[in-house]
Amino acid sequence: MTKSQVVLITGVADYWGARVAARLTRVPEVRVLGIDSNAPRQKIEGMDFIQTDIRNPLLVALLKAEQVDTVCHLTFNERRRKSESDFDLNVMGTMKVFGACREAGVRKIVLKSSTDVYGAHPDNPAFLPETWPLRGSKQYGYTRYRIEVEEFAQGFSKQFADELVVTTLRLANIVGPTAVTPMTKLLSQPVTPTLLGFNPLMQLLHEDDAVEALVHAILEDVPGVFNIGADDYLPLLRLLRMVRNVDVPIVHPLAYWGVAMLRGTPLKPEAYLPLALDYLRYRWVGDTQKMAAEFGMELKYTAVDTIEEFIKLKKGPPRARRFLEADYLRQIIDYRQQQRERMNDE
Amino acid sequence: MSEQTTTTTKQLCQGLTKADKPCRNYALADDTYCHLHQTTPSAETTHHPNGQHDLGTPIPLEQELTPEEMFRHRLQEEVVELVQRLNTLTPSFVPPPFRPEAILGYTEKLVTGLPRHQATDILQRANQIIREDAFDPETWQGLWYLINYNVQYQLDIIKRRFAGDYEVDEWGLDLEFVNAIMPFLNFMYRYYFRTSVTGFEHIPDYTRGLVVCNHSGQLPFDGGMVMTAIYQDHPSQRLLRSLYASWFPTVPFISSFLEKGGQVMACVENGTRLLEQDQLVGVFPEGYKGVGKLFKDRYKLARFGRGGFIKMALNTGAPIIPTAIVGAEETYISVYKSDLLARVTGFPYFPISLRFPWLGLLGFIPLPTKWFIDFGEPIPTDHYPTGSADNMVLVSQLTNQTRNIIQEMINDRLAQRRSVFFG
Repeated sequence: MTKSQVVLITGVADYWGARVAARLTRVPEVRVLGIDSNAPRQKIEGMDFIQTDIRNPLLVALLKAEQVDTVCHLTFNERRRKSESDFDLNVMGTMKVFGACREAGVRKIVLKSSTDVYGAHPDNPAFLPETWPLRGSKQYGYTRYRIEVEEFAQGFSKQFADELVVTTLRLANIVGPTAVTPMTKLLSQPVTPTLLGFNPLMQLLHEDDAVEALVHAILEDVPGVFNIGADDYLPLLRLLRMVRNVDVPIVHPLAYWGVAMLRGTPLKPEAYLPLALDYLRYRWVGDTQKMAAEFGMELKYTAVDTIEEFIKLKKGPPRARRFLEADYLRQIIDYRQQQRERMNDE
Repeated sequence: MSEQTTTTTKQLCQGLTKADKPCRNYALADDTYCHLHQTTPSAETTHHPNGQHDLGTPIPLEQELTPEEMFRHRLQEEVVELVQRLNTLTPSFVPPPFRPEAILGYTEKLVTGLPRHQATDILQRANQIIREDAFDPETWQGLWYLINYNVQYQLDIIKRRFAGDYEVDEWGLDLEFVNAIMPFLNFMYRYYFRTSVTGFEHIPDYTRGLVVCNHSGQLPFDGGMVMTAIYQDHPSQRLLRSLYASWFPTVPFISSFLEKGGQVMACVENGTRLLEQDQLVGVFPEGYKGVGKLFKDRYKLARFGRGGFIKMALNTGAPIIPTAIVGAEETYISVYKSDLLARVTGFPYFPISLRFPWLGLLGFIPLPTKWFIDFGEPIPTDHYPTGSADNMVLVSQLTNQTRNIIQEMINDRLAQRRSVFFG
C-alpha cells in the first residue's frame, strides 16, 4: 500500500459509493475524492466531493490534476426496465471512465459487478468459475448492462494489462439491513412468486462484507476477476421460509407466459420479481475458490448469519405494530452501538 | 382431566430434579410436590377416574439408589414428562377405548393363508398375549402414547422444515431427504429387483473413486440402485454422487429431487471438484443413447460420451471402477423411439414400449427382473503425469478400455444368467 494514495470514487450519492467512501475516509493513508452528478444526501466527513457527471469530457483533466491513482467505479443504475438513459450512464459512462483513467495514467480500477452476469442455466456447473462465459438473462436492464460493462472491462484489462490493474468483483446476492438490492427486495415483499418444483441454491453476501471487499481491492493490488460470496448456500425456499415470506408456487410455463403477456399492463408482473424468473429456477452460484486462494480477505458473515441479522432488523412484527415494540428499537440501538464500536476499533 | 384443571390454579412442584433444576411438573392438588417428588404417594394419585396413568410408586430421592434403580427412575421421570407434555398439548383428550377382540379377529383372518399347524400356533400366542396384556388398559395407554409421541415427532420435523430449519451441503444434498426416500429405494433394491452385488471390495472406503456404469432401462432406476447398493450394503455406507444430464434441471420436482438426493449435474468441473473432495462419483457415460436403448440393442454399449469422465479421473488421479448392471435392460421393453413425440413433449427421447403409452401410468411400472451389479477391478489413473487430461489420444484410449471392460463384464454375467426374472 502506497502512502497518500488518492482514490476517486464514482457514484458517491448512491448507497455503495457513500458506504465505500465513508469506510475509506477512516484509512489514514488515503485521500478520498468523490464524484457524482447529484449531491450526497449526507455529508461524508473527510471526503472531497466534486459534483460532476462521469461522462464529462474533462474527467481526464480532473484525474490528472488530482493525481488520482485508483478509481473505484460504482456508478450504476440498477433498474429492471431497459432504457436509453440507463444504457448511456451504465455502459457508455463506464467506457468513458475507463478511457479517461488510461489517458490520465491511473494505476488501478476497481469495478463492482454481480454474479447475475453468469445467468441461470440448466447446464451451469454447480460452482461457476470466473472464466465461465457471461450468459446472463437479457430480460432485465441491470443484468444486460452489467454484462456489457463486464465484457468491455475484460477486453480493456486484457488490452492494457501492462498499464493498468483492473479488479472486477462479482458480488453474490447482497443482503443486509440497509442495502437495497434485488435480493433484499425479494426477501422484503410479503408474498413471493416461486416456480413450482424448483428450489435452487442461493449464494449470499453481507453488505458489510461487500463494502470490505471493495475497500480491500482498492487498498491491495489484486488484479483479475473475483467471485465474492459466502461459502454456505441456502435453498431459495428455505430462505423464504426463514424470513417468513409466503411463497406462491406457479407452474413454470404459466409463469413465463404470464410475465410475457402481462408485461406493460398495469398489473406489472415484474414488480413482484426483482430477479428474473430464470434466477429462481436454476442454480447460479459463483465459485469462491479463487477468492479464498488469491483475494486475501476473509468474509465476516456466513449466509445464515446474514439472514438472521436481516430477519432481526428488517422483518419481525408486521409493519404497523413493529415501530411500537420496544424490542425492535432495542435491536436497532444495539446494532448501531456495535457499528460504532467497530468503527472505533478500526 | 378437565375437572382437575378447573378446580384449582395449578402450581409448580417445589422439588428439585437430578440436575438440581426446579421441577417443571405441576404440583398435585393440596400439595407442594408433584407425584415424582412426593415422599409418600397419596391415595389420590393411585386412582384416577378417567383411567389416568399410575406409573408405580416413585422411589424417594433421599435413599441410596443402585444404578439400575437410578436408570429406572430416570426412565419413569421421562415417561411422566412425556405424558404431561401430551396432556398439556391436548388437554381435553381422552384415549378412545380399544377392543382387543377385534384385533384377534383380524389376526384370525390374516392367518388363513398359512399351514394349519402354524396358524394355530400363531393364534394361540395371540390369544395368550391378548388375554394377559391386552386386557390391561395400561398396555394400550402406553401404545397410544407411543403413537402420539411418534406423530408429534414427525410433525415437529415437518414444522421445523417449513420454518426453514434444515441443512443442505454445498451441492444441495439433504441427508434427511435421502433417509426419507431410502425405504422406497431399499424396497426396490431388495425385494423388487432382488439385486445381487459383487465386488464391494473394489470401492474405496474413504478415498475418491469414479464408478463408471452402463446405462439402461428407459427410466434411470439403475442410478438409484447403484446408489442404494453402496449406501446400504457397502461397509463404509458411502453416498454415491451420480452425475445427471443437463436436461433434468429443467424439469420441475425432478431437479430439486435429484439435488436433494445428492446428485449433481454432469460436467467436468463438477466431477473434478467432487473427486477433489474425496467423494465417490458415479457416471453413466452412455447418457441418453444408453438409457433410451431399444430392446433389440440391449446390452450393447453405446458410445461413451466425449470422454469427460476420463478427464475428471485424470485431473484428480481417481481410480476408475468399471461397473456392469445386468437386468435393467428388461425392465421396459422399448420397441421404437418417437422423434415427433419427443419434440412435442420436450423429452430427450420418447420410448414406445409394449406398455407405454398404451397403458398410461401403468406403463411406468418396471418389470420385476432380477438385477446383478458387478463392481470390477479399479483402473488406476494416478500414475499419469499432470496435464494428461488434455491428451486426447490417451483420453480416447482410456475411454475405449473402460468401455471394453464393462462390455466384457456384461457378457460374462449374461452367459451365467439363466432367467431374466429369476437370475
